[in-house]
Amino acid sequence: MSLNRRSFLKTSLAASTALALPMPAFAADVLNVALIVPSPAADVGWSHTLELGTKALEAKYGDKVKVTLLENIAEGPDADRIMNKTAADGTTFLILGSFGYMEGGLKLAKAHPEMSILHASGYKTAENFSPFGARYYQGTYLMGMAAASLTKSKKLGCVGAFAIPELITSINAFTLGAQSVDPSIEVSVVWVNSWFDPASEQQAAKALISQGVDVIFSNAQDTPSVIQTAEEAGVYAFNLNSSMKAYAPTKYLGVVGTDWAPYFLQSVEAHLAGTFAGASAWLSMADKCVFVADWNPDIPADIVAKITEMQAAIESGAFSPFTGPITNQDGAEQVAAGVTLGDDMILSMDWHVKGVTTPLPK
Amino acid sequence: MKITFERRAALSRPVLFAAPVIALSLAMLTSLILFAALGKPAGQALYSLLLEPFVGWYNISEVLLKMGPLMLIAQGLAIGFRANVFNIGAEGQLIIGALCASALPVYFPEGSSPLMLPAMIAMGALGGAAWAGIAAGLRVRFNANEILVTLMLTLIATQVLNYLLLGPWKDPHGFNFPQSVTFPDAALLPILLTGTRVNISLLAALLVSALAYVMMRHRFSGYQLLVGGLAPRAARYAGFTEARAVWVSLLLGGLMAGLAGACEVAGPLGQLQRSVSTGYGYSAIIVAYLGGLNPLGIVVSAFLMAALFIGGDNAMVSADLPVAAVFVFQGLLLVFYLASLTFIRHRVILNWTRRA
Repeated sequence: MSLNRRSFLKTSLAASTALALPMPAFAADVLNVALIVPSPAADVGWSHTLELGTKALEAKYGDKVKVTLLENIAEGPDADRIMNKTAADGTTFLILGSFGYMEGGLKLAKAHPEMSILHASGYKTAENFSPFGARYYQGTYLMGMAAASLTKSKKLGCVGAFAIPELITSINAFTLGAQSVDPSIEVSVVWVNSWFDPASEQQAAKALISQGVDVIFSNAQDTPSVIQTAEEAGVYAFNLNSSMKAYAPTKYLGVVGTDWAPYFLQSVEAHLAGTFAGASAWLSMADKCVFVADWNPDIPADIVAKITEMQAAIESGAFSPFTGPITNQDGAEQVAAGVTLGDDMILSMDWHVKGVTTPLPK
Repeated sequence: MKITFERRAALSRPVLFAAPVIALSLAMLTSLILFAALGKPAGQALYSLLLEPFVGWYNISEVLLKMGPLMLIAQGLAIGFRANVFNIGAEGQLIIGALCASALPVYFPEGSSPLMLPAMIAMGALGGAAWAGIAAGLRVRFNANEILVTLMLTLIATQVLNYLLLGPWKDPHGFNFPQSVTFPDAALLPILLTGTRVNISLLAALLVSALAYVMMRHRFSGYQLLVGGLAPRAARYAGFTEARAVWVSLLLGGLMAGLAGACEVAGPLGQLQRSVSTGYGYSAIIVAYLGGLNPLGIVVSAFLMAALFIGGDNAMVSADLPVAAVFVFQGLLLVFYLASLTFIRHRVILNWTRRA
C-alpha cells in the first residue's frame, strides 16, 4: 500500500479512535464466527456435532455473535479461497472441521494475526492456530467392555474411515477394553477410506457380519449405514460423535459422543479477551468433551457397574487405557508393564494391539 | 395437440446475444424468490453470486486461477465433441495426469533440478493421453462405446489415486493421512501475477486455445476430423477414416486433461491429495457446450463458469446461503440458457388439428 495523504489520514484516524475508545466498545461489536466442514452437515455425525458446538456460542452470546456454516467444502485450493473470503468478510474466529484444511489454515493464520483459528485433527500449531481433537479412545475402551459382555462368537468388528492415528487408537482401546473382560476376544477391521460413503460402509458391515462378528464399531462414519445394517442383521453396534439410536432401536450398544460446546466457548472467551494462544487441545472426558450415553439395556448389571467404575477412573486420570503391559499385533511387547503411554505416542500411533486380526495398511 | 420445433433459417447476431441475457434475468428472478423464501438476504446473495467475482484484483485473479483447467480441458473435449467422439471421462484423465506428474516429486522430494517441472508436465500430459487412449483403442478395435468406457475409467482412476495415497505414496511424516509430501519448489509452477495464486499454466491454456482455433479454422486436419466423426462413410470415400477421428479426439482430450491435472498439483495444490479435482473434468463438458464448441467461445465460457463457481462460494460465506441453494442457482442459469437458446434457434409450432 502506498502511503498517500488519504490513507495516512484514515490510518491515523482509526488508530486514534482505537486508543480513545474504552475496551467495551469493541465487545459491543458482533463477533463473526465461521465453521468450514468437508461433508454436508447432516442430522448426525461429525459435522453435525461441530455445528452443535457453534450453536452453544449463539446461545451464550446471542446477537453479539454471528455464525456462518460453510458445508461441503472440498479440501484444497477452493477451501483456501473460502477461508480468505471469510477473513475478508470480517470473520475473526474460524473453525476448520477437517485435517485437510491444515496448510491453508496455517497460511491464513500467519496473514491474519487478528484471527483465532481452531483446526480439527491436525498436528501443527501456530500462535493463533490451535489443533483440537477428542480422546475417543477413553470412550471406546468402555464400549469394548460392554461389547465383550454381549458377544457370543467372541469376534468383534470395526468399520473404519481412514487408518489415521485417531482411529487406530480408538480401535486399540476398544480391543483392550474388550480383552479386560474376556482376553480371548478378537477384532477384525475393514477400512472404507471415506468419511461419507453409505454403500461401502454397508458392504463392510455385511462382510464383518458374514464372518461371524456380532458387535460392530462404526468408527468415524458420518452416516448411520453401519448402525442400520447391524440392526437389520440383529447384531449390536455403536458409533462416535452423535447418537444414532433412532436407526437401531433394539441393538444400539451406545454412543461415544463429543460435545464441543465447552471448548468453543472457552476459546471464544479467550479470543474476545485477547488471550487466545495457539496450543494443541486434545479433549477428554474430564474436559466434558467425550462422553458415553444411550447404553443398551441388555448389558449385564455387573458389567454396567464395572464400566461405571472404570469411567470414573478414566475421568479422574487414575487410569489410562494405554497402560502396559501391551503386546502388539506381531506379538512383541509394545508398552512395558506399569508404563503409561504419553500423549505424543498415542497421537502418532501406527500399530495395532494383539487381538486385532487385520493387519494395518502400510 | 402436437408441438414441433422448426429450426429457424437465419439468425441475427443480436438475437443470439439475447440468450444469455434472458437466461440471466430469469435465473435471477427465480433465485430472488427462492432466496427470499429461505429467509436469506437475496440482494446480497445475487451480488456475491454475480458481481463480486469481478470486483477487485484478488477476486478476478481467483477467477483466472479456476478458469485455467476448465479452459484447457474444454478445448480438448470440444475437438472430440465436434467430431462426435464423446469423451465424458476427462475427470479420470485429469487424475491420471496429476498422478503421473506427482511421481517425480514423490520419489525425489528434495529434488531441485530445473528439469523436474518440465518433466512433470510432460508426464502428466502423456499420462492423461494414455488413459484416454485405452478408450480409443477399445472403440476402434471392439467398437466399445467411448462414453461408457471413459466414464468407467474415471472410477478406476479414482481408485488408483486412493491406492497410491493410502499406500506407497503417502507422506511418511503425515501420520497416515491420505496425501503425498508437499512438493519442493522445483516442482511448483512459477507465479504469473505476483500477489495472486495465478501461475503460468494460464498462458499455456490460452496458447492451447489459440492452437485449437487455428486447427479448427485453417487446417485440413480439423476438417478431416469433423467429417470422420460426423459422416464416417463419406470420410472413408474421401480417404480419411473414423478410426483416425477417434484416436485424435481422445488422445488430444486426454492430453489436455492430463496437462490440467499436472498443473493443478504443480500449481495451487502443491501436493497430491484425494480432492485433486473438484469436478473440473465434468464442468469442462458444460464449458465446452456453453462455448458452442468453438475455441474462442470456450475461452469466454470458461471465464464465466469459473466466475459462477467463485460467486457460489462467495454467496455461502457472505449471504449465508446453504450449498444446495448455490447449486440450484447454478443449475437454473444453465437450464434457462439452454432453453432460451432452443427457443431462439427454433420456431415453436403448435398444431391443433387432431389426427384421425
